[in-house]
Amino acid sequence: MPSRRRWRRARRIGNVAVAAGVAAAVLAVCAAGYGRLPALGPVLDPGRGAWASAAGGQLPTTQVLTLPGLGRAVTVGFDAHGIATIDASSVTDAMLALGYLHARFRLTEMDLERRQAEGRLAQLVGPAALPSDRFELRLGLLRTARREWAEMPRTSVAARALLAYARGVNDYLDQARASGQWPALFPLEGVYPADWTPVDSLAIQGDLTQELDYTTTPLDYALLDRSLGAARTMSWFPVLPVNAQSPYDPGPYRPLGIAPIQTTMVTANAASSVTAGPARGGATPPRPAPSLATTLPPGTARAAATLLAQAGALPAGQIHEYPDSNAWAANGPRVRGGGAMLAGDPHLPQTLPSVWYQVAMMAPGFDVTGVSVPGLPGVLLGHNKHIAWSLTDTQNQSTLFYVEKTSRSRPGQYLWHSRWRRMRTVRYTIPVRGGAPRHLAVKLTVHGPVMTQVGQTVSVDWMGNVPSPDVAVLFGISTASDFAQFRAALANWRAPTQNFVYADDRGNIGAISAGYFPVVRHGAPWLPMPGTGADDVAGVIPYAAVPHSYDPPGHVIATANQRPVAGSYPYYIGTTANDFDPSYRASREYAFLNARNGMTMASFAALQTSVTDDLAVRVLPRVLAAFRHVGLTPLQRRAANVLRRWNRAMAPGSPGASIWWTFWSDYLSATFGPWWRASAVPVHLDRSGLGISASQFSLVQVLEHWTLDDPANPAFTPPGGPRRTAPQVIRAAFGTAVAHLRARLGASPASWAWGRLHSRQFPSLTQVQALGYGPRPSGGDAWTVNAAYGLPVATDGPSWRMIVRWPGTTGSGHAAAEGIYPGGQSENPASPWYENLIPYWWNGRYLPMPAAGGGPASPAARAGSAAGRRVRWRLRP
Amino acid sequence: MNRLVSKSEATRLGKRGSYRLGGLAQQGVGRPAAPRPFRPSFTRAYHAGPAWAWVLGAVAGTGLVAAGAAGGLWFMPMVVGLAAGVAVRWGGWRLRVSTPVVAAMAAAGWGLALWIPALSGLPVGATARTIAALAGLPPYAAVAVGVTLAVSALQGLAGLWLGRALAPRPPEDEIDR
Repeated sequence: MPSRRRWRRARRIGNVAVAAGVAAAVLAVCAAGYGRLPALGPVLDPGRGAWASAAGGQLPTTQVLTLPGLGRAVTVGFDAHGIATIDASSVTDAMLALGYLHARFRLTEMDLERRQAEGRLAQLVGPAALPSDRFELRLGLLRTARREWAEMPRTSVAARALLAYARGVNDYLDQARASGQWPALFPLEGVYPADWTPVDSLAIQGDLTQELDYTTTPLDYALLDRSLGAARTMSWFPVLPVNAQSPYDPGPYRPLGIAPIQTTMVTANAASSVTAGPARGGATPPRPAPSLATTLPPGTARAAATLLAQAGALPAGQIHEYPDSNAWAANGPRVRGGGAMLAGDPHLPQTLPSVWYQVAMMAPGFDVTGVSVPGLPGVLLGHNKHIAWSLTDTQNQSTLFYVEKTSRSRPGQYLWHSRWRRMRTVRYTIPVRGGAPRHLAVKLTVHGPVMTQVGQTVSVDWMGNVPSPDVAVLFGISTASDFAQFRAALANWRAPTQNFVYADDRGNIGAISAGYFPVVRHGAPWLPMPGTGADDVAGVIPYAAVPHSYDPPGHVIATANQRPVAGSYPYYIGTTANDFDPSYRASREYAFLNARNGMTMASFAALQTSVTDDLAVRVLPRVLAAFRHVGLTPLQRRAANVLRRWNRAMAPGSPGASIWWTFWSDYLSATFGPWWRASAVPVHLDRSGLGISASQFSLVQVLEHWTLDDPANPAFTPPGGPRRTAPQVIRAAFGTAVAHLRARLGASPASWAWGRLHSRQFPSLTQVQALGYGPRPSGGDAWTVNAAYGLPVATDGPSWRMIVRWPGTTGSGHAAAEGIYPGGQSENPASPWYENLIPYWWNGRYLPMPAAGGGPASPAARAGSAAGRRVRWRLRP
Repeated sequence: MNRLVSKSEATRLGKRGSYRLGGLAQQGVGRPAAPRPFRPSFTRAYHAGPAWAWVLGAVAGTGLVAAGAAGGLWFMPMVVGLAAGVAVRWGGWRLRVSTPVVAAMAAAGWGLALWIPALSGLPVGATARTIAALAGLPPYAAVAVGVTLAVSALQGLAGLWLGRALAPRPPEDEIDR
């Protein structure tokens, strides 16, 4: 009996112990998570966890909100589509309200962008993001942002805007902390946003600069040089284009010497910069000859491969890969009723949420409407009372790589101008979610950060690391009322180099490629250069000599990332491999605009949504001519007939588009493939930069040129093979293309619709498939005005379409403006404003932009407002 | 073989009605009653207090879990489960009763905390889909809701177990497993 009692007692104690252990384990997992499992309790708590993000999915209602930091009350209005209008008593109050709005609707996006820029992504998503964090910390967006902020006078308008904006963001963060109503990502990851600072905004500015301006082209050249040889590399990836181009600034040009690089944020007076003239004795600047490359030191190719692997580990779109954007303007007889008209559609990764947040901001002396970038104060593209502007990427070479001379006997030093110098070291600790923090030491030379020491010590001199007062410049543009003020404001813009296209209420149009174009006195900047001093960046092209145009006699300016200048321009600005568009979009735009007078906003809209492929317009007659008098199989004959009847439009239902694109891809492969295989080009290191594809713009334009003007070019003959000419390769490639299409789409060429091969998708910024949009069959390709980058699924393209029309030339008219972007104002997938704008964009429709200038909105805008839901917030101090 | 039956068989030999299907029919012995099907009892022979009080307690526990969720007290299902564990031990409820009831209380409490905002217009369904997608689960609302309710139920059950284990065992309660 006593033994039974003991047994029962022991069992009871055991039961208590196991129950307590299980309860403790459940409690611990719920409280703190386990491994990648988040803290389930707080995360799934219906009241405060991820579920609380449902509140952010609700449409705003009319209410009064208290925002500490405001000087006076601000009114914020929302139309039915979520487009916001801010009416404030001062610019700082307007910026504070904008910060609050951005945070309220785009906090996840802002935090992801700042983490990306500052090398803190691994803290949120774990070790998978370490390559990205290491890259960004090496490159130095955070260092540059801190330096910019440290040098910015606190009384400047930019500093005040940045501080007010950060205060607005932090007002929202305080509210979220109090209510627990965070966007779902934060409770799920268990990591919450820290307070916003001006440095965060400047880091996001750097991130955008990197997306538009940081390239690895010299590394690709190094590998091509090693595999194909210098002669073929420079022949097939030439500095100057060999096909027909449409520069927006056709010259004449004047060499004005080299201007010094401003390395601080304290900028010279804009007007004096414009008129300063030659900065270094007025000597004609050296222009590297577009010829053979110099001999690269051993190990450079290995270093290049390492650097390309680094870049390849970055999230898509983090460095510049595609040409971006269209913007054009017309005036005089080209526009119905006179006046000036402007259209712009920047091509960027099309994500949900979008890179843009549409807003109109009004304060005394500051009336602007357009799109802003969450994280940055101000409007990047839009119009004010007097002027409208849009941007396209200039595509010039802004990234230069230097092979530093080092010695084993002098560790941590490099030779520069015949003296050994010590590299500076900056150390970072990278917090990692679910792991121990990692440490990173970044070495710096006079050129910039050392990006690798594998094979060679290679540093990068990137114009994005030069402090650039972009916020101040944007404020200057937003308050400009004529071209002189616009031009003066842009004099301080350094990076990313952009073509700013302009139209005003007096009927003027213009364009300026603002930013730093680095100039070297010696060497071949398209390759990694020796870092010993002689090949250093000597300065930049003076502002007075950068590409520009104002009221051209043809009454049309079009920029579409084409080389902005003709071959006679006296400065080197980059090679064909620098992602200058081969001029297909620009040529299409000039052809359209020059052929019409009395254009309306509808005319511009038709051009913005055009999917005519200009390369097909140029080359297809020659392709079809190659089929004459030769035997084709019945299937090839039917495919050729489809191609013959095709209107050159890459419409989703077009079988001709499928045949054309497949043919062109196979034509590129048939021409260059044998050379690539024979030379063992290391394509795997950088598919977009080293592979043979339609996105390899150098090869595309070279092949176009040979097909039209040099059909017997020796390149058509494969190494060691029988002699071939262009028509022979065309026929072979056509046969291959038809076979490919038959295998993929069946035996009926009439059914080979482009939409069966090509679709478009707007992926979620969180990279969660289910939160994106599409893919859906879609038209367009890389060379159509309505561009679609990527096959089979395009994820880059027109991220915002805007058309602004100034009705007269008196300066008293109000602009009619409309715009649309594919996405929605809210980042919350549960919100009706998450993707509500996509159907408009997809169908080529626009929405009226809220009025700027306190004047009446356009009739369309008034109609939209009256019909729509109007909500007002009153923000009070 | 039963000896008595053998003797009676001998006396019946050759008589009408003594044979059925080749065997001797039983005589004078009633048919045995059909075995009663097993019907598990969800209640003990007794439990403390009236049933309505226990139901009211369960409803109150559900309300507590829901209120705790609204207030950010995500551990309330475990607390309620713990209290329930002590109570059912004292009340003499069997495990087969208390387990589903406590799981239901916990799940219903969090379910209520989700349902009430949905009634007021919050996009709970769409949020559920977002949560499931961000968590790397199949992007269906039911998945996120199911996981949420399961976490609450798990907490409740862990609390129940601990409560029962800690509560003093009634001396007569020896067969309750």
